[in-house]
Amino acid sequence: MKRPEQIVIIGFGPVAASLIEGLLPSVTAGDCELTVISAEKHLAYNRVLLAELAIGAAELEHLLMVDAARLDAAGVNVLLGAQATGVDRARRRVLVRDHEPVSYDRLVFATGARAMIPSLNGLNFDPHADTALPDGVFALRTVDDAQKLQHSLSIGGRILILGGGILGIEAALAIAASGGKPVLVHHGAAPLGRVVDGDGGALLTRCLKDAGVEVISEVKATGISKDEHGFAALSTSTHGEILGGALLISTGVRARTELAEGCGLAVGRGIKTNQFLCADTEQRIYALGDCAEVDGQAPVGLLAPGWAQASWLAQHLSTPTEVPAPDFSASDVLMLKGQGIEVAAAGDVSAGFWDKPELQATVFADPSAGRYLKVVTRDGVVTGFLSIGLPQTSAELVLAYERGNQLPVDRSTLLRLDDPAALDLSSVVPSDEDQLCRCSGATYGQVTHAVGEGCTTVAQVGDSCRAGTGCGGCKSKIEELLKKAPALA
Amino acid sequence: MADTHCPYCALQCGITLEGTGAQTSLRGRDFETNGGALCRKGFSAAKLLEHPQRITNPMQRQADGSFAPVDWDTALDLIAHKALEIRAESGADAVAMFGSGSLTNEKAYQLGKFARLALGTSRIDYNGRFCMSSAAAGTNKAFGLDRGLPFPLADLDNAAMILMLGSNVADTMPPFVRHLETVRGRGGLIVVDPRRSATAKLADEGAGWHLQPTPSSDLALLLGLAHVVLTESLADTHYLAERTVGLDSLRSSVASWWPERTAKVTGIPADQIRRTARALAAAAKSAKNGGNPVYILTGRGIEQHANGTDTVTAAINLALLLGLPGTLAGGYGTITGQGNGQGGREHGQKCDQLPGYRKISDPEHRAHVAKVWGVDPEIIPGPGIPAVELLNTLGTKSGARMLMVHGANPVISAPDANQIFAALRRLDFLVVSDFFFSETAAEADLVLPVLQWAEEEGTMTNLEGRILRRRAAMPAPGQAKSELWIFSQLAQRLNAPGTFSPNASEVFDELKLASAGGIADYSGVNWEDVDQGAAIYWPCPEGSEISTKTGERNGTPRLFLDRFAHSDGKAQIIAVYAPNQLPNKQISLVTGRLLEHYQSGAQTRRVDELATAAPEAALEIHPSTALAHQISDGQMVKVSNQRGTSIARAKLSTDMRLDTVFLPFHFPNTGTANLLTDPSVDPFSKMPEFKHAHVSLNPIKGES
Repeated sequence: MKRPEQIVIIGFGPVAASLIEGLLPSVTAGDCELTVISAEKHLAYNRVLLAELAIGAAELEHLLMVDAARLDAAGVNVLLGAQATGVDRARRRVLVRDHEPVSYDRLVFATGARAMIPSLNGLNFDPHADTALPDGVFALRTVDDAQKLQHSLSIGGRILILGGGILGIEAALAIAASGGKPVLVHHGAAPLGRVVDGDGGALLTRCLKDAGVEVISEVKATGISKDEHGFAALSTSTHGEILGGALLISTGVRARTELAEGCGLAVGRGIKTNQFLCADTEQRIYALGDCAEVDGQAPVGLLAPGWAQASWLAQHLSTPTEVPAPDFSASDVLMLKGQGIEVAAAGDVSAGFWDKPELQATVFADPSAGRYLKVVTRDGVVTGFLSIGLPQTSAELVLAYERGNQLPVDRSTLLRLDDPAALDLSSVVPSDEDQLCRCSGATYGQVTHAVGEGCTTVAQVGDSCRAGTGCGGCKSKIEELLKKAPALA
Repeated sequence: MADTHCPYCALQCGITLEGTGAQTSLRGRDFETNGGALCRKGFSAAKLLEHPQRITNPMQRQADGSFAPVDWDTALDLIAHKALEIRAESGADAVAMFGSGSLTNEKAYQLGKFARLALGTSRIDYNGRFCMSSAAAGTNKAFGLDRGLPFPLADLDNAAMILMLGSNVADTMPPFVRHLETVRGRGGLIVVDPRRSATAKLADEGAGWHLQPTPSSDLALLLGLAHVVLTESLADTHYLAERTVGLDSLRSSVASWWPERTAKVTGIPADQIRRTARALAAAAKSAKNGGNPVYILTGRGIEQHANGTDTVTAAINLALLLGLPGTLAGGYGTITGQGNGQGGREHGQKCDQLPGYRKISDPEHRAHVAKVWGVDPEIIPGPGIPAVELLNTLGTKSGARMLMVHGANPVISAPDANQIFAALRRLDFLVVSDFFFSETAAEADLVLPVLQWAEEEGTMTNLEGRILRRRAAMPAPGQAKSELWIFSQLAQRLNAPGTFSPNASEVFDELKLASAGGIADYSGVNWEDVDQGAAIYWPCPEGSEISTKTGERNGTPRLFLDRFAHSDGKAQIIAVYAPNQLPNKQISLVTGRLLEHYQSGAQTRRVDELATAAPEAALEIHPSTALAHQISDGQMVKVSNQRGTSIARAKLSTDMRLDTVFLPFHFPNTGTANLLTDPSVDPFSKMPEFKHAHVSLNPIKGES
């Protein structure tokens, strides 16, 4: 019998969890043995909900993306709180601190990314290690970070969020929703920088303020100042000292690549792989998710592409036959997770009306109602959009953008999706030939005739022409016609 | 005069028939499911009884391809001869049977028995595979028992909230809508459908709301709703601890479906998902504190998929999180489609099943049924193969050479119709029992004339699991005979062991014994009590006290109030995962039914007023999508994919999504929607993917 293949995964985030899910049938069948090495002490959890965890809107158990009992039953070997210190490619084993080396036939890097800590006076940033941050300064990448945020919230006071990206905005909204005082500090003209245009950005800023988020734009931060409790203020060259009790850093992430680099793998903005996620020439080592630069594409920091990669890799690793080439169309759709504010964006919306003949820009703005839409298309296919306050339009645009569908020739159709009543023709006066009762097929004319013949109740009309004798949904229409009838002399 | 029930859907509306022949008059009868109301199909049902196209003699195909009448002896001798010959040459499994959810309980039972004992074949399955199989698989897994509505339909009359997924009752069973009047008045009807269907419109004007997902994203939507219920701590933890197992696995399966991600996959805004989950949770909480009940109901729209069982499981999981099933605070139910879609799936027509919802692979179950049949358990064949496989392998090395079809029209109703035609044409011998020359009968070597609803005695089991009496009101025309008589005649000619009574009440008495102690236990149901209109819901074990008084319910009207049917008494929460779908820019086709027609249309297309109202397949399409494809209203359109091409007249409607078109599946020839549907099946239920196919659209120039 063939020896089961030893698969080792380093990292245990949502993408690793999805890969494990895909490999479980093979593990259960005894075709492979799976070991997961995780530096964190928790099972894989959903980072997207860390802000909710911090404000108490969700429990940690609701964030877990794997069922420990299920992994256990399948025989997956999970090493929690285990720090991989090196990979010995010659002997095909992973070195783990305070643990025996773990042998592999195939090794998957799913080490993810760590928060990027900006170069500010008072913060000692090391791009290849987890920086020790002063009290009151933290990112929002881990359960520990969420606990720090929770602590700051319990103290009260302003919480500065540095960075105007989607994660920063979501954290700010969550803090506001829980009654805290968030201050969103960022260097662009409006939050979400590259994905919004001027008018959209202005509306977004106003929406955030309405939701209880103070927004300070065009800030150049230079350092932090501390007092005896830790963080006290953000020093800037543009706005002086911005005071606050805590600083949440949300200035992007950087792939965790040091382990891969240490064993001689090529590293760029992530661990370099070919389009098949393979990082070495022997086809033993793979990388995926936020730590991987797949086929020259930098990681985008979103979950969807990582999950698509995990699902393909699971199939590739567990199927002896050739699996069709993967297509990890790296979707860059942003959908703001914040209740009450509806923002979706993707691609590039910078094109103006007259900039380039091949790009068409469509704009709808109703700022007093909190609505804004900009769509840029090429040959009718969306290349970028920003939608604020138009939830149904957003949802349809996301699907059209990801699929590469052509938009309706009349773009205003997209706007009407949010108001089906606009297309409701029920106010039109029905003619005699129009159907009144769907179930029986009886028309307005037939019912009018029945009423004219002397029917005075819905039941009598039903006996006469069957209207109203099916689902009963047209009773009110029949009653109206009965009311209109002249009283019998 | 006869008090009976409508021949069509599982609502089994009460009907009174008076007179015979052309003088037959039909009216709605005050029965609990319909309250005297009928839909257009029901009103006109008597038009089919004395119909000029009725088959009144056995018809044998001639050398020139035409059909000629033969007498019954000739027909029956021929069937017996062919069956014996093919069995001798190729083994018993070379003869197959295909049954129906439209047959009475007695016929469904006898069909299974005839296949196993008279033909000795394992190759039996039925069109319910295309209908209720995913719901059945899902409810069996979760509750240990499959009864469409585990509560009386009238319980809905008092609902505070109903979440209805993939069901268009306003078209398919209009009198059902009467049971939604109260919930609509309370603003609590939530309809999930990729079309703004007639049912979705029932939620207009404050009666509730409509969620319009992109096709095939129902599972993601349900996971998203469960995510909100769990993460916002809205689940009924006490109920989950007391009455269920498996919650931990569910948590991890829904953790990744936060509302914004769900929105990206479904096309439903995140806030709508939150709003729906919170409203359901609030209503469920109130229901448990003495408020009005909350129900989650599913239909074929979410079930007829290659992941239909998982989707049903996700709907049940949501109901369990809310603490509803097996309580008076509401529950989960599936809305059975075919007239006897419920009874049809209990008495042994399924390839893996014996009467009483027993398993054919379980030695104890086999022994019980063998004893009732008076045979050695050894001679009962093992499990066969499900419908799609049974049909597609016909005439191949691994498939049957002869097929007997009862109450079904698979060339219209089965997926990938071109393959079904090819399969039937590979057969050595095809026998179809029907009252009209259906499109499947037209392919047959021999067509047997059988009875219609108003000409036969029997029982049906409706969507609530209530057993009803079907009564003969008039004699059958010409030589038409009951399938029960046909089976008894053939059994003699095939020297079958056991008995095959031609009499419905005798068969019912035997069915009772065979079902005794099984999941669907009918042993306490007496023919006479059903005859007198007693409201009896299975399971009804022997010795149950039965009252025939109107308004009193007998047997088990409400299931699971004390325990679920698994041995530990708990409901099983089974984690399910939504597949990672790659974006596809092609138009999605969804299929379904019209108000005017029933199933393959073999009956309703022959009723003038229905055929006039809906004479041909219409392709419902959004005006913007039509414009993009240069399709104008009323123009003929070629709808194509790798499996085939269907032609339909465009009907522009803003009720459609931009990415979706709709075809009804009732029509023959080039109008057959199932030329396009995908024969991939669900791993558990073997349900094919009827409800989603990618298609291209091309207007036919100059034709409109």
